[in-house]
Amino acid sequence: MTVNINSTALAASPAKAISISDVNLYYGALHVLKDINLEIQPGEFFAFLGPSGCGKTTLLRLIAGFNEARQGKVVIGGQDVLDMPPWKRDIGMVFQSYALWPHMTVAANVAFGLEERRLPRAEVERRVQAALELVGLKHLADRRPSQLSGGQQQRVALARTIAIEPKVLLLDEPLSNLDAKMRVEVRRELRDLQQRLKLTTIFVTHDQEEANTVCDRIAVFNEGRIQQVGTPMGLYEKPANLFVANFLGTANILDGTVSGSGAQRSFEVKGAGSIPIPEGASVPAGAKLVFRPQYATLGTLEPGAVALTGTIAHREFLGATVRYGVQVGTATVLIDAPFHSGETLLETGATTTLGLKPSSALWLSE
Amino acid sequence: MLKTIAAAMLMSAAFVVTVHAQDGGKVTIVTSFSKDVTDPFKAGFEAANPGFTLDVQNKSTSSGVKYIDETKVNNQVDLFWASAPDAFDSLKSRELLAKFTPSVTGLPEKVGSYPVNDKDGYYFGFAASGYGIMSNDRYLEANDLPKPVEWSDLTKPEYHDHIAIAAPSRSGTTHLTIETILQGEGWDKGWATLKGIGGNLQQVTERSFGVPDAVNSGQTGIGIVIDFFAFSAQASGFPVSFAYPSVTTVVPANIGIVANAPNQAGAEAFVNYLLSEKGQAVLLEPAIRRLPINPALYEKAPEGFPNPFKDPRFQSMITFDSDVSKKRTDVVDTLYDQLISFQLDNIKGATKAIHEAEKAVAANEQAAARALLTEAHALIAAMPITAEEAASQQVRDAFTGGEEKTARQAELEQKWAAFASEKYAAAKAKAEEALALVD
Amino acid sequence: MALVQSIPIRRVSAKPGQIFAIALIALFLAIFLIIPAGTVIYTAFTEKGTGALTIVNFVDFFNTDLFRRSFFNSVYVSGMSVVWATAIALPLAVLTTRFDFRGSLIIQTLGFVPLIMPPFVGAVAMQLLFGRNGTVNLILNDWFGIRIPFMEGLNGVIFVQSLHYFPFILINLSTSLRNIDRSMEEAAQNLGSSGVRLFRRIVFPLAMPGYLAGASLVFVKVFDDLATPLLLNVKDMLAPQAYLRVTSVGLTDPMGYVISVILIAVSIFAMWLSAVAMRGKDYSTTQRGGGGLSRRKLSRGESVIAYGVVGLILLLVLSPHIGLLLLSLATVWSFSPLPDAYTVAHYGRVFGESSLYIKNTLIYASLAGLIDVVIGGAIAYLVLRTKVVGRRWLDWAATAALAIPGVVLGIGYLRTFYGITLPDGTPLATLWVMVVLALAIRRLPYALRACYAALQQVSESLEEAAENLGATKQRTIRRIVLPLMTGGLLAGFVTSFSTAAVELSATLMLIQSNSDAPIAYGLYVFMQSPAGRGPGAALGVIAVIMVALCTLLSHYVIERRQKALGVTK
Repeated sequence: MTVNINSTALAASPAKAISISDVNLYYGALHVLKDINLEIQPGEFFAFLGPSGCGKTTLLRLIAGFNEARQGKVVIGGQDVLDMPPWKRDIGMVFQSYALWPHMTVAANVAFGLEERRLPRAEVERRVQAALELVGLKHLADRRPSQLSGGQQQRVALARTIAIEPKVLLLDEPLSNLDAKMRVEVRRELRDLQQRLKLTTIFVTHDQEEANTVCDRIAVFNEGRIQQVGTPMGLYEKPANLFVANFLGTANILDGTVSGSGAQRSFEVKGAGSIPIPEGASVPAGAKLVFRPQYATLGTLEPGAVALTGTIAHREFLGATVRYGVQVGTATVLIDAPFHSGETLLETGATTTLGLKPSSALWLSE
Repeated sequence: MLKTIAAAMLMSAAFVVTVHAQDGGKVTIVTSFSKDVTDPFKAGFEAANPGFTLDVQNKSTSSGVKYIDETKVNNQVDLFWASAPDAFDSLKSRELLAKFTPSVTGLPEKVGSYPVNDKDGYYFGFAASGYGIMSNDRYLEANDLPKPVEWSDLTKPEYHDHIAIAAPSRSGTTHLTIETILQGEGWDKGWATLKGIGGNLQQVTERSFGVPDAVNSGQTGIGIVIDFFAFSAQASGFPVSFAYPSVTTVVPANIGIVANAPNQAGAEAFVNYLLSEKGQAVLLEPAIRRLPINPALYEKAPEGFPNPFKDPRFQSMITFDSDVSKKRTDVVDTLYDQLISFQLDNIKGATKAIHEAEKAVAANEQAAARALLTEAHALIAAMPITAEEAASQQVRDAFTGGEEKTARQAELEQKWAAFASEKYAAAKAKAEEALALVD
Repeated sequence: MALVQSIPIRRVSAKPGQIFAIALIALFLAIFLIIPAGTVIYTAFTEKGTGALTIVNFVDFFNTDLFRRSFFNSVYVSGMSVVWATAIALPLAVLTTRFDFRGSLIIQTLGFVPLIMPPFVGAVAMQLLFGRNGTVNLILNDWFGIRIPFMEGLNGVIFVQSLHYFPFILINLSTSLRNIDRSMEEAAQNLGSSGVRLFRRIVFPLAMPGYLAGASLVFVKVFDDLATPLLLNVKDMLAPQAYLRVTSVGLTDPMGYVISVILIAVSIFAMWLSAVAMRGKDYSTTQRGGGGLSRRKLSRGESVIAYGVVGLILLLVLSPHIGLLLLSLATVWSFSPLPDAYTVAHYGRVFGESSLYIKNTLIYASLAGLIDVVIGGAIAYLVLRTKVVGRRWLDWAATAALAIPGVVLGIGYLRTFYGITLPDGTPLATLWVMVVLALAIRRLPYALRACYAALQQVSESLEEAAENLGATKQRTIRRIVLPLMTGGLLAGFVTSFSTAAVELSATLMLIQSNSDAPIAYGLYVFMQSPAGRGPGAALGVIAVIMVALCTLLSHYVIERRQKALGVTK
């Protein structure tokens, strides 16, 4: 698909900021959203990321007006929207199931929101054409949704939403119904479109790769609470807790105990050795040692690295790298070693040393 | 009443037990009479004839006839028991009834002027019924209406939209009423009366009982019914009255043995029981209230119960020629349907217009207006065929599919209906013209 | 690849089992529907007197003003009944499916009760309440000096019919509304739509298949119903005309049968039209994602209005039953807003006999319901899941039963089966089993619709999964399809059962003795005399309560079953 933006066809209103403060939501006795506070910048492509049941979709629906918060504020472009019904909010939402109305043609689906706004017929027609052109489906205007492929349906849903020139755009797992190849293609298009329209956009997903690739910033959700907000890189490099570390990318986690104090602190991994804790590193109570697979070496020690002992538990050849599972104490960690031609791989069962720079390690708690 | 029923139930229960011991067998009877009528007779018959059980199959008269006709190849019915003599005629003409001579003797040959029994001995009258006008007292009072007594009363303007009648094609009893009026007043004058009443009708019901039902509940004020409907309603406490007009007749309600009856002996026993003094006495029960065919019974009748054999009103009633009636049954019924039942809105509209115009003309008498009204009346009364034509072989064959037919039934019906609707429209126009003249 | 290829082949070729099933059902329909009805309706094509084949009768039909008028009146009344039935059913369906509304279960159950109205008594009770001098009009006349002609002419028929048959729309529309994917509605709200506009543009169109199914059933039922117009003395409609002509003494008039043929043709045409309108509108499969429509809480003010509207509608639709109850307790009720006095004596009068009637009714109606579900389920399966030649014909034939007047079927049974005798000499037609079969045939169309709906909700992939795991067709049906259809099958059974329990017209011809009689027959017998009105009404009340209890019980069973299966949320 070629995304064809005629920037005059669909006028993008100035991007709006979203400010969410102290939002709590209960389903009966169930506390579903807990003390949500979030600032989303105008024009930002923002992701809600988390496992299913974490509250990310609930918050999205709350912004759209389909859930009612008992407490808190949601301010969009300076206006508190919580007391408004969904149809007054001017918030575009693309549903996970697309929710295309099967009894209407593609064009009628797209025209719907414009007609509800009582726009003149010519204006409706113009914007429908523009929106369909934007998503490259002008030629399918007279089809029924059931005659379209999944990707096409997704684009119609998108066209339907942006045709109303919403203040903000909400995308509820927009890629989950597409096959893997389409997913990569569509997410790039989404990013492209968002950039051109300069629409403040919230993207709900459970897939960290999707969030990382398209979004400016991500809020990680777990159990109704925002765990951390940050850029994809920031979250990867500096996760705030074990959950975030684990959810974004692969993280090795080792149990152990802190000994010593001040500049002499070290972290002891039972049966494997100990690592000095760099000065100034924060080590919360009950913290565990966390490091990424690519930050450790096997057999060799880089300068400044300390050694832990381990046994090779399993091995996967991935082409550019070899992923080893190494038994360290009671835990198994993953180590990615770059593969060089002619190199002999470590055998399962072999005892080895695991080299880790304390500066690439983190100490995080739950 | 309840006691009688309780006793009857006990007895029938007792007999169910003993039946098999001295089996006279099951006597199957198809009847249009309600449970109120059949239950006491069943109890009485089974008591008087131990060993027999009466099995009552309740069907409307027309379905009963149809049923016996359809099942004749393997007949399981012993008796047919209903009011309308024409249903029996219909059965007899299809050879579905058996000849029989009841053992009960000394019964009169005629009630009023109608022969009690079929002249060939195929069916027998067991009770007399007269036709007349039933009215709801509360309704008449609320609408400030006098009690109607004569058929001609019913053509008066004040009764407009207050009268119900059963369609003669659906109700054998109403058919006889219509035929009585036609014979009593003559074809043309009779139809004029019928259409005069027709213009005042509120409803034409499809079941005979629909008329007394509507009068009992007060949905309509006046109904043209068979007497026992009114008497039994009175006995049940409904605020209704009944009057025999001077042109009427009493006709018998009948029973006949079905040809090839599986239990001929039982069938004969029931007919004999029905005509016996014991059986006749059952007719006087409050829920039944039919006029017994045995004159002796009237001594036991309650106060004010009419006696068709002594009451002078009944002696003056017209002679009824059942041969004339039979010849034109289908034609008369169809004419009534096509000219009145299915044209009810048209004839009512025209009649109302005439009534209004007449009222205005009476206040401001003008010869021209009066002449228009006379024309309007004549238009309403106009008939598409004469009495002779109605009885002619050509017309009758149209209904039976006979050889001499000159048109199919459907074609005749359409012709008559078109005739009526045209004449009624013209009558309405004349009446409106008359009203315009004097207004 | 092999699987992909095998699919079209499997769909086209018929398994011997399917051919056997189709032959068996065809045989059943032929023997108990087509041949009996055919022997009667054949008359429509013969010349009176000679019996020669002709179509002149149909020419006569269209040349007769009365019949043309009747035809248009029937179409008008049926159409308007659909409109009014919709007006009654729509608010009830919407309130119960889209709002947190406490009375939902009551509405769903009570909304069904109007279908259970025994013949005669319903109209009598309605007259007493809404007739020209019924309760309402007497009071109106007293207070304001006006009368409203509820029960007069075509409008009266429309009034009574829409009150009687609206449950067909309510049931089907509610099911459809419940099956709409919530996001369909939310997407519209998100785009700025709300309230009535949202309902009109999105929700109702999506519920259209259910609505059409219900509406076409109402149309056909009203078109073919003869009892209501006759009891209101409206004769210029087709069904009453057919009845009057078929049953008049002495008149052997082919026109009655001609009208029957036209009734059947129009009914099948209407069903076909609704099938065409629904083609490509089976939205349930194209909708994905979670749950039915979200239920909204009503504000206090809205609650008051909602309860008011529902109360008013229920009062209206239950008025025949209220009238019936009053009548059964009344001494004399004549030209007065309420009965003169009250008594329970009528119940005493019918008490002894009613147990026999009840027993017979339960046996007949449940057997008929059972037959209907088995045959309806089989036809639905053959039509929806196979490509056996002639399966559509089974569907049309079974649907045609809707349009065959009960009397015609009754006479047909007598003609066809009376000549066949059992070894002991009793004719086949006199067995009570024939009553059951006639009832089953008459109610088959209802059960068939329910079975269709039930099977349509079972995704085909569930069956394919079972077959893929090695289950044969038969075992798949038994282990997967039937358990999943249970709810729908029971619903079909309930509809057949409860309407068969109060059916009279075919029964009246076939009942051979009082000991074989169902409750509707007992009612008929009582309602023919002034003294029998009270007891008749009492028997009617007993019938309604009995059938309503059975219905409630079945609903309860369905609900538990659904819960056990985890079908409902």
